[in-house]
Amino acid sequence: MTLTAPVTGTAARRARRTALLHWIAVHSLGIAAALFFVLPFVFVVLTSLMSDQQALTRDLTPDSWHFGNYLKVFETEGFLTWWKNSLLYAGLGTVLVVVSSLPVAYALAKFRFRGRHLSLLLVISMMMLPPQVVIIPMYLFWAQQMDLSGSLWPLIIPMAFGDAFAIFLLRQFLLTIPDEYVEAARIDGCGELRILLRVVLPMAKPAVAAVALFQFFYCWNDYFGPQIYASENPAAWTLSYGLESFKGAHHTDWNLTMAATVLVMAPVILVFFFAQKAFVEGVTLTGVKG
Amino acid sequence: MSTDTLPATEAAPAASGSTAARRNTLRSRRRSNALRTLAFMSPWLIGFGFFFVYPLVSTVYFSLMKYDGLNAPEWRGLDNWEYVFTSFPQFWPALRNTLWLCVVMVSCRVVFGLGIGMLITKIKTGAGIFRTLFYLPFLAPPVASTLAFVFLLNPGTGPVNTLLEAIGLPAPAWFTDPAWAKPALTLLAVWGIGDLMVIFMAALLDVPKEQYEAAELDGANARQRFRHITLPNISPIILFAVVTGIIGAMQYYTQPIVASKVASGVMGGSGVTFVPGYPDDSTLTLPQLVYSLGFSQFNYGAACVVALVLFAFSMAFTALLMRRRGGLIGSGD
Amino acid sequence: MSARPRRAVAALAATASIALFAGACTGSAGTRASDDPKAETTITFWHGWSAPAEVKAIEDNVARFTKAHPNIKVKVVGNINDDKLGQALRAGGSNGPDVVASFTTANVGKFCHTGALADLKPFVEKDKLDLDKIFPKVLQDYTQFEGKRCTLPLLSDAYGLYYNKDAFREAGLDPEAPPKTWSEFTKAAKALTKAKGDSFERLGFMPNYLGYETVVSHYMSQWGHGGYFDKDGRSTAASDPAFAEMMTYQKSLVDALGGFQKLDKYRTTFGDEWGAKHPFQTGQVAMQLDGEWRLNFIKDAKVPFEVGVAPLPVADDEVAEYGKGYLSGTIMGIAPQSEKQNAAWELVKYMTTDTEAVVNFANAIGNVPSTLDALKSPDLKFDARFKTFLDIARHPKSTTSDGAVNGSAYQDTLQKFAQQYEKGQVSDLKKGLADTAAQIDRDIAAAK
Repeated sequence: MTLTAPVTGTAARRARRTALLHWIAVHSLGIAAALFFVLPFVFVVLTSLMSDQQALTRDLTPDSWHFGNYLKVFETEGFLTWWKNSLLYAGLGTVLVVVSSLPVAYALAKFRFRGRHLSLLLVISMMMLPPQVVIIPMYLFWAQQMDLSGSLWPLIIPMAFGDAFAIFLLRQFLLTIPDEYVEAARIDGCGELRILLRVVLPMAKPAVAAVALFQFFYCWNDYFGPQIYASENPAAWTLSYGLESFKGAHHTDWNLTMAATVLVMAPVILVFFFAQKAFVEGVTLTGVKG
Repeated sequence: MSTDTLPATEAAPAASGSTAARRNTLRSRRRSNALRTLAFMSPWLIGFGFFFVYPLVSTVYFSLMKYDGLNAPEWRGLDNWEYVFTSFPQFWPALRNTLWLCVVMVSCRVVFGLGIGMLITKIKTGAGIFRTLFYLPFLAPPVASTLAFVFLLNPGTGPVNTLLEAIGLPAPAWFTDPAWAKPALTLLAVWGIGDLMVIFMAALLDVPKEQYEAAELDGANARQRFRHITLPNISPIILFAVVTGIIGAMQYYTQPIVASKVASGVMGGSGVTFVPGYPDDSTLTLPQLVYSLGFSQFNYGAACVVALVLFAFSMAFTALLMRRRGGLIGSGD
Repeated sequence: MSARPRRAVAALAATASIALFAGACTGSAGTRASDDPKAETTITFWHGWSAPAEVKAIEDNVARFTKAHPNIKVKVVGNINDDKLGQALRAGGSNGPDVVASFTTANVGKFCHTGALADLKPFVEKDKLDLDKIFPKVLQDYTQFEGKRCTLPLLSDAYGLYYNKDAFREAGLDPEAPPKTWSEFTKAAKALTKAKGDSFERLGFMPNYLGYETVVSHYMSQWGHGGYFDKDGRSTAASDPAFAEMMTYQKSLVDALGGFQKLDKYRTTFGDEWGAKHPFQTGQVAMQLDGEWRLNFIKDAKVPFEVGVAPLPVADDEVAEYGKGYLSGTIMGIAPQSEKQNAAWELVKYMTTDTEAVVNFANAIGNVPSTLDALKSPDLKFDARFKTFLDIARHPKSTTSDGAVNGSAYQDTLQKFAQQYEKGQVSDLKKGLADTAAQIDRDIAAAK
């Protein structure tokens, strides 16, 4: 705050009082904000523990604690299947994206070729493209030509061809790796693939981790994709689509629906706690410097 | 532009002495370099051609056809375009809503994100806990958080209205009221501000302290410091947040469709199908129209028209982003 | 030189595009029914039922079929709505259904016109079925469109009025004399309403269009009208005064019971329509417009009050037609891309025409039987109150929703306008209806 704080006298007391007021103001705001961010979670959990009847009332806290609601959600037909499908989609998708995007990002960062600038522009355009723009022909292709509707394959297979966002993120990061490392390896006669795997990849671990995490959560949270391709086959539903259909499909009321919501939110939050650093790094990679 | 060679090591094509031989080695090296580039770029090249170019061209094609998925496509020329722009009652509301989201939701998010970012840099005690708590809502999967908010903001039984009425404040009908549905969605979007908070936090911490100290010496107060030091330093980030926010608003699909489906309580079986945009088209967005036209009404022609409108807007904003953020592409070129 | 690879890729993409257009262009020609119905095969049957008791009834029905046709195994998938159905019928393929059942009779027009469901005429002729002797006329009408028959009726539904007799007594109303005209209805609904704070402890009736089952088409059958389309295929929403009358009445009811906002807020406190906490079953509303199936739900939920059943009221000047109601039903069809159409037909034929099958299924889910023989069957088990619905089904003035080439889209358009009107957002009802009718006509023209 101030450069030199007066140590004695009324000026000092005034300065300390201002400092204290400032501290109180900031922390009060912080607590208010924290309440705004946290209370929704609290109410969701409280409602998830209510009885069927109470779920229809305005009561804020449960009269009796129905932990069994969570069991009921697990036993709901399809819930475990949705989990399995989400894991399959997100897991496979992440691996495919990382493996296919890394060479492209490396080429864009460390090769010089005509069309490099254009390619980068196109990558960025793809990044900004809403999936709804191309969904009609893609759906017709997967459903009519490939007979893959009612499954998640139309979503997974394209991930073997790189993801624009992953490519962009990795490229930005790879740019920060000094060219000298790569040059040195080239002089030693290493092939580019070797350079990528032995020299660059170990240095790019945080970026790769961030990309993997982002991709995982993109797939995990994806609602539109499964709605288009998997909705006709309940055996292929993912958590995101299943959760939205939960209330209607199983004629439950808010208590069970909120329990299901908690069961979908919790794993993500848990993973975050274990992978915090990679998350935050990844988010800053997207925004701060060019 | 630059040559088609890989950097360095070109300098010594040693081996044979004659120029012809050197030229040959150069050409073959060039070819192998080009092949290598192609090999490394191939996943994306295939993806680009197949999942971007082909469907885009195909979408243009279908926008000129009448196609319902069952019978062969019939040529209709610009009929679908005319229908969407003049006779389709949901098109203009969707466009207006998208504009609303771009202006109101994005600015709310940016302002709030900046505010929270600034707040978090000022908190000394327990900063880590606060940061985690502020960030958590961003992690909630969109379907889950939308469901949670529809419940929380349920006009009859939700906790928010219960509390508001207990205090004596007006309790709006949120997701069931056309005037409040978009603000409710904005509230949801602002709740998930974690990602912007982190970005702004990093930007704020990057502002050189000397500038602040110099300003204080000159007698600047907090507001002046903010306007003349903080803002200019973080303006690239603000711009980035605004433009990516706008692009996100263009793609806004999951939250409004889930919210309107659940809030309306419309189930099949009563002879009425779910029409998105409940209540009163107030939550309708262009991506939802593509879905509704294409996958509920099976009018692929009109759906493709809307898809192309969406494409045009997205590309316009992308071009804007790339022009301003020259540094995005520039470095390393 | 690196331009060459790029150009090559562009050329590749272009060729691929053209090749794939050609592929997409062919649409999908339906396969002829060439399978042997006596061969061992598995067919997939999609339906829209989701309540546990109804799902079980379907499975029992299918089990009976498998006993009679042991070579045909049936894979059953429930809770399918028309969107998913439409998608699957267009995608075809190995994951798609062979036999489908849908609740949206208004979509029959779209199904038949676009060829989304297979033409059943060859099958009917092959087995020499005389449809006039099997099905009542109204059921035949709503399962075909402009001469094309692509569905058969599977059980039908009649809509009437459920009312809480205990609540009637409490409010001083005669429980054996439910309201017969809409003015009486408004009076009864008001009497049955008990306020609580600025909400309700009990509401006489939830009139909002988004309430359960109180949609435009269900209301409209209680006003005499000549159909939703005139003989030229144009919407009658503006030309037929019945529509304006219905909407005016509905709005007056909404206003009389507390206004749209208050009612809508109360509506958001309702439990799920197909769950145990249906608002009529919990006592949150005292009267409910619903189909005949609700009787079984009420019995399963063991509601603590006495329930009465009656036809819905009619317009004040149409008292002579009291007893009529809205009719619809479930429809069954065959996917045109199925490669097992003959086997599929066996299932359709069994479930729709076999008297024992129809009677057992009707008993199980409490729906109105769909064949003339089943209606006369001594094995039909029903509660005395069910007879009211049978009478509504047989009433000569009962009506259904017309079919249209774009399916239920016109209903959605009417519904949307009605919702605006009930909220008080429309100042000129006549003009609004005229605009709505014009929109419906435009949509139908675009879909042709």
